[in-house]
Parts: sequence; structure tokens; C-alpha cells
Amino acid sequence: MPDLNIKVGLIGKFDMLKFKNMKKVREKAIQAAPANEVSGVFAINENAKALHPDFLELVIDRIIDRGGAQAKTFVLKRADDAPLPYFRAGQYISLKLPMDGSFVTRSYSLCSSPKEALNGEYAITVRSNPGGFVADRLLAEKKPGDTVITSGPQGFFYYEKLRDEKNVIGLAGGSGITPFLSMARALADGVEDFNLTLLFGSRDEDNILFRGELDEIARICPKFKVVHVLSEEEKAGFETGFITAELIKKYAPEGEPYSVYLCGPEAMYKFLKPEIEKLGLPERLFRRKLIDVTKTPWECEGYPQEAKGKQFSIKVKQGPQECTIPASADEPVLVAIERAAIKAPSRCRAGECGWCRSRLLEGTVFIPQENEMRRWADKHYGYIHPCCSFPTSDLTLEVPGEFF
Amino acid sequence: MPKYDIVVVGAGNAGMSAALQCQLAGMKTLLIEKHNLPGGAATSFVRGRFEIDPSLHELCDYGPAENPGDLRDLMTAYGVKAEFIEVGECFRCVSTYRDGSPMDVTMPAGIDAFIGKMEEYVPGSREKMTKLFDLFQEVLDGIAYITASKGNPDSKVLQTEYPDMLRCGAYSTQKVFDALKLPKKCQDILSTYWSYLGVDMEHLAFIHYAAMVHKYTSRGAYILKHTSHELSTSMVERFRELGGEVWFNCRAEEFLFDGDRCCGVKTNLGTIECNYVLANINPDIIYGKMMPKELVPEREKKLSTARDRKIGGRMYTAYFCMDCTPEELGIHDYTIFLPGTTDSPTEYANIMKGMEYNNFSIFNCYNIANPEFSPPGTCVCAFTTFGSPVDWNDLKQEDYFRFKEKGVDKMLKNLKEKLGIDLSGHIEEIEIGSPWTFARYLGVPEGGVYGYEARDWDGMMARMQMIGSDYPIKGLRPVGAAGPRSDGYTASMICGRLMALNALMDLKKWREEGGNK
Repeated sequence: MPDLNIKVGLIGKFDMLKFKNMKKVREKAIQAAPANEVSGVFAINENAKALHPDFLELVIDRIIDRGGAQAKTFVLKRADDAPLPYFRAGQYISLKLPMDGSFVTRSYSLCSSPKEALNGEYAITVRSNPGGFVADRLLAEKKPGDTVITSGPQGFFYYEKLRDEKNVIGLAGGSGITPFLSMARALADGVEDFNLTLLFGSRDEDNILFRGELDEIARICPKFKVVHVLSEEEKAGFETGFITAELIKKYAPEGEPYSVYLCGPEAMYKFLKPEIEKLGLPERLFRRKLIDVTKTPWECEGYPQEAKGKQFSIKVKQGPQECTIPASADEPVLVAIERAAIKAPSRCRAGECGWCRSRLLEGTVFIPQENEMRRWADKHYGYIHPCCSFPTSDLTLEVPGEFF
Repeated sequence: MPKYDIVVVGAGNAGMSAALQCQLAGMKTLLIEKHNLPGGAATSFVRGRFEIDPSLHELCDYGPAENPGDLRDLMTAYGVKAEFIEVGECFRCVSTYRDGSPMDVTMPAGIDAFIGKMEEYVPGSREKMTKLFDLFQEVLDGIAYITASKGNPDSKVLQTEYPDMLRCGAYSTQKVFDALKLPKKCQDILSTYWSYLGVDMEHLAFIHYAAMVHKYTSRGAYILKHTSHELSTSMVERFRELGGEVWFNCRAEEFLFDGDRCCGVKTNLGTIECNYVLANINPDIIYGKMMPKELVPEREKKLSTARDRKIGGRMYTAYFCMDCTPEELGIHDYTIFLPGTTDSPTEYANIMKGMEYNNFSIFNCYNIANPEFSPPGTCVCAFTTFGSPVDWNDLKQEDYFRFKEKGVDKMLKNLKEKLGIDLSGHIEEIEIGSPWTFARYLGVPEGGVYGYEARDWDGMMARMQMIGSDYPIKGLRPVGAAGPRSDGYTASMICGRLMALNALMDLKKWREEGGNK
């Protein structure tokens, strides 16, 4: 480029030399600096680690019996009482429980206010679930002083002012009250700022979980209202029957938009789905806490019925380890992994968090549509979330490691 | 536990590329990644019915089949298959020229179209712009030559083939623009891309900038059809197909040494023995936390001190999943730069002063480039700006969530004021990524995805010439944005390959000298 007139001003005949000197200039800058020890510690990274730990080792500080509601609240602290990671009211922690030589995870919404985390306390509430594998054992066996391994707070069931309307109608059933209790407490603490009207379904008056706490918060906090809905009892001062579109409209603010949040058992969700559709809300104004994967996959659309009740084997690879374990077609792959006491990652057990993402090398699985939340490329390249994948053949699976 | 020839620690872009190169060379290679996904920032996440790409605005280095860029060539060489989509225009920039007049320009891809459009905005600029692009081309060719020489270019070849690159090679972009007497408005429009490299025009090496701008304009910009996770997953799959092993949720805690030579990695899945480690980890973290202090060379301590923790690109981003189409929101551009000013040194200084002073953002709408990016009737938008340690170092956890929202509020307000685009009332899902988020998932210092600022004495070209002197730990080489090719999606992959090739030479020499088997 002979006509390129760049040899003007600052750029002159020594420029080639300068180019060659770049190396020298850089080495000079390096040599001019003192040889301080490299620390590798950065405040931002330490902050991130404190807020999002790999896992937490907590101690049961005290247990509060919820009497007629057949539930207990476990207050968890660190052994040294240090503050716990802050969270958004509505988030959950996932407990990693050793049971009969296996590792089981269960997620429980934090029911304490985020503010309590700064004082070093989390609270979760476990309700009796006869026939279940974990809840009743937790209620019977765990005592103050016992340690539990948990995940940090997580999940997306929380108020977000850039997305939600200022008015929120909460729909809770049974132990689905816990995330809403945390929200109510956060409203009372001034940590959150929105209007929550809670429609809380219980069987009868004696069965209302956190009755006293909820009524007390409603009394002192103008942003929180609670309406008790009793399915099996007719009583003055209570709504009777089930939560319906009509009932929601009755308590919704007049002429103002609102968001609907739902947390309750699978049956409640199935009942409420058509009711909520009647409200004609855009999708963005309806949020629900994910529920555990179905216990009856064969009732789901698309299930290959011939697999039902069958026994399979899974070859599991984890890092340098490899083993073969039995599996039932009627349980998610994760359960087979847990029964075999393999420390594999899992948290939400609903397909949402993706923490258990594993690579399926051979075999086939069934994934209920409700829990299909995989990334495009994961579907394309055969990665599954074992927490909500049911084996329909023998499998070979590569699972990630765990940190606790 | 089997022994490996090479362990690659970290499946970021550089790590994946390094692993592929090692495996292709027939090495028994293990790739470990502390997260349960590959890619680092080149990943995706799912919220509700949306899948979102957290990192990728656009790739300058893929290019069409008939004019392939480095990334396309690299993927071809590795045998990696992924679907790319061309973005179309280069960018729209809405800001203020340095003379105070308002700027709203939309620059097309293609060198002739770009120069033509510039002539419209800045009449009389065509000749200078044409010369500038010729210079860009020479720079690009020169860099390719230096890369191919693995840091040891022949000065005679440089002088005869790339004289103009040499002439402007030691200068900042601003100095070269001024020397070329490029009209001020032209400079302002051309300066738009500075943020992609995270260094303002006064401190950013011309060569580095020239190469990037030329690639964007000549080859057009591309994105992945199914987010960056598509590319990362396909790279990992290809690596496995070639015989490589990958362990996720496997974190390197410490590098093990036999004398002064790295011989293994301690992880949560056990201790792994190997003959060489390529670490997709920032050198400050390796030296400060992962190896014996007494083995860190004096010169490397000096290098770290000299860099003075000038971390580049602490990302602060927000992703919006909208329940309506781009048209309904009045969005017609894929990338809109919204700097407070086109005076980049001032802009960068303001960013570093903290959120209160930061008026910089980039707004993207993925569906403009890829109408199938999200379910019909929806779209996904994103804001990107930079965070400053001023805000994020001492922030308390209990203030974190509100603080994150505050900056996003500001960007939303700015979007509405400058462009009349109002996202409120249509947001179905929202996620905000702060420097804490990037630090959490990537482990990079201060959430900075650009490594160290590639500025002044520590620019890309100087680093490239010193591959032989930096990081002289036996059996261990860092790869990634802190490396010789500096930051960038493709740059990291090229760095990974370059360092892998160096490692292969090191290993060969070591074995010839009687090193282990």
C-alpha cells in the first residue's frame, strides 16, 4: 500500500522499531513491578461464594411442633452461628439426607424471613406424609443437635418487581404455605414490598398450619391478608369448599391487575389449572412452585405402557468409578441412584434446576411433559435430568460428581 | 485411577478447544469442569418456556462458507458441528458525537456497504475509510502470520509483507485514527465496538481493534441457532467421539508437583496423575490459590503485580423473556449500542466510577437475528453493561438483589427515553447477572470475562510476542482470556489451540529428554 499516508504526526520512521520494542517495553513494565506474593483472593468472588455455597453444613438448633397440623418446624443454624446466605422469600433449600445407606435429597421452602438468615437462622417445616419415604422419618428421628447437609437457597418462586404486578394473590394448599409464610414475614420485616392476599386451603380449622403466625402478620402488616378456605368444615369467618376462580375474583383488588402465585400438592394444581384459565391472565402473571415429579408416570400422556412395573439395570459412570445398579420403571432414575448410595447431584427433583444433568449413553427414558425443562442441545445430544426421567430400558448413564 | 497424558482443567471456550487439539494429536486427554455444564459463559439457561444465551452477542469470526473466519476454520478442523445464523447488520448506535450533536447510526455488514453508509453519515469520508480498511486487512494478515509463527515471527517477513502493520503496531487506536486524519464523526462511529474488548480507544492497541472491526464488517456477525450451549455441547461431544473423557462437577483444588514440574491435579473426584495440565483458569488464581507459593517464579509475581488487578469486562447483564413480539415492542435491530458518550475514555472512566455514573449499555433482541429463538409470539432481549468493583466489592448480601435491580431499572429507563422501547408490562421471565454471578459460575476474578485489560504495555500483540516468556511453569500452561490472544469468544478458542500446540511441543521435548514414558 504505497499510497497509504500514515506517516504523519506521531507515526514516523521509528515506528517499526517501536513495534519490535513492544516486547522489551512489556518486559520492562513487568520487571519494574515488585515481586509481591500473588493472592488469588478477590472480594467479588468471595461474595459470590458466600451467597452461593456448594453446600451448607447445618445443625438443628430447635424443633417446633405444629400440633394438629402434624408438622414440625426445624430451625437450622451453622455450628458457629455465623450468618447464612441471604435469599429471596419463596426460595427453597435441598436437604441431602443419608438414609439406610443411601443419599436422598428433598427440597423444602424456607419459611423464615430472609432477615433471619443474617442472624444465622433458616427455618423449614416438614409435614407428615404417611407412606412417603422421607418426611415421617425426619419428623420421628431428627433431634436438636443433629447435622444436616443442605444446598444454598435456590428456585424462582419469588416476587420480582420488574415482572410482577404490585398485587399478588397467593394460592396455598397444605404444606404449600411455607414459601408464602416466608413472603408474609418478609413483607412484615420490610424486606419485600408488594401486596399479598393469601387464599389458604386446609381441611378444617384444626388443620391450619401456621394459623397463629399468619393471622398475627395480617394484623400488624397492611400488605398481607389471609383468607382461610376449609374444604371439610363450614364455619363463620372462613370460606368453605375449594379455591375457585370465583373465590380468587372475590378477593382480587377491584379494577387493578394482579399476579397469581400457586404452591400446593399435585391434586390441588390439577384442580386449579382450569380455574386459573378462567381468569384469563397472561402467562407472565401466573407462577407456580414446581412440584415433585409424578409418582404415577404410566398415567402421563405418551408413556410406553409396556414398561410399567418392569425392572431394569443402569450402568452408572461417575468420574473414574463405574458400577451397575438395579432400577424400577416406576421410579425416576435418580431414585435408583440414591438407593445405590451414589453421591450424585440433585436439588429440585422437578426437572427445573438441572443440577442432576447427566449423559445418557445407552437406553431410553420417559420424561413427563410437566417436567421437560431441558436445554435444546441437551435434548439433541441425549442429556437427561435423572430426577424426572423414568427408565424404559436398561441404561448406561454418566453422572457428574458432588462436592459434599 | 488411570493416568492421562494431558488434563485440561475447565471446559470454557479455551479449555474445550485445547482439549480437542490435544485429543486430535493422539494424547490421552481428560477434560474436567467444576460446573455441571461445559462452556463457561458460552452456555444457556432455562426459565419457564425460554432458553437464554447469557454470553453471546455476536461472533465476528465465523463468516460464510466462501469466506470462512477463524472460528469456522477451527470448527472444521475439529470436526465440530453446530448451526450458525448470520445476524445481518453490524450495529445501531444511539448516542452523542464528541462534538455534542446527537448520533443515531445503523451500520451494515460488508466492507463496501459499511464504507458507503459511513459516507452518508460523514460525507467525504470514503477515501480515508477505504484506506483504513486496506490497513485493517494488512493487520489481519499480519496477525495470522504471527499466530502461525507461534510467537516467533521473522522480522524480515514482517518488514516486507506487513510494513504498515509494523508502522502503526505500537500505537493506540486513537493515535492511529488521528494520524490518519480520520474525520471525528467517523472515529466516533468506528469507536462503537470498543466495549467488545473492554479497553477505551486511547489505550486499546490499534492492531487489536483493527482486526476485530475488519472481521465484523467483512464477514458479518453470527450467532448460534440454539444458544452457545449448542456449540459447547457439540464441542464436548466431538471431544468424546475422538476418545476424550469429560468429568463434570469435578473441581481442581490444587495442582500437584514432582519437583518443579506439574504432575497432577487434586479434585473432589480424587487425585489425577498426568504429564501436563492446561488450565482454563486465570493465572492469578493458579498462582495465588492452587500451587505451592515457593514454585511461583519471581517474574510471574512481578507480572501479576504489574497488572495491578486491572481485570477486564466485569459483566453486568439482564435477560428479559417477553410475552410479545419484537414488532409489538418496536424493536427492529439486533444490537443497539447505547453509550452515554462516544468519548470512550470518559465512558470507561464513568463505568469504573460505579453504577451511579455508568450510562453505558448494549441492548440485544435475539429474535431479530433468529425469529425461532423463543416460542411464537414471544421474544428474548438482553442488556449488557460492565460492573465496577466500587459497587460490587463491598456490597452486602441483603442489599444485593435490590441493587442488581437498580442498575437494570436505569437501563430500562434509558431504553425508553432514547428509543421509546418500553419493556414493562410484558416481562414474563427476568434474570439478572452481576459480576457476582459471573464470578460464581466462571470462577474468573471479579466476574471479569475479558481476563486482564489488554491495554498499553499488556496489549494483545505484546503478549503474542511473549508466549515463550509468560507462565514458565513446567508441565502447566494457563489458557483463556488472560492469555496471549486476549479476550473474545473466538480468541479464547484460538488461545486454547495455540497453548495446546505449545504444550504438545513441550511434552515432546520433555519425553525426548528422558521424561516419563
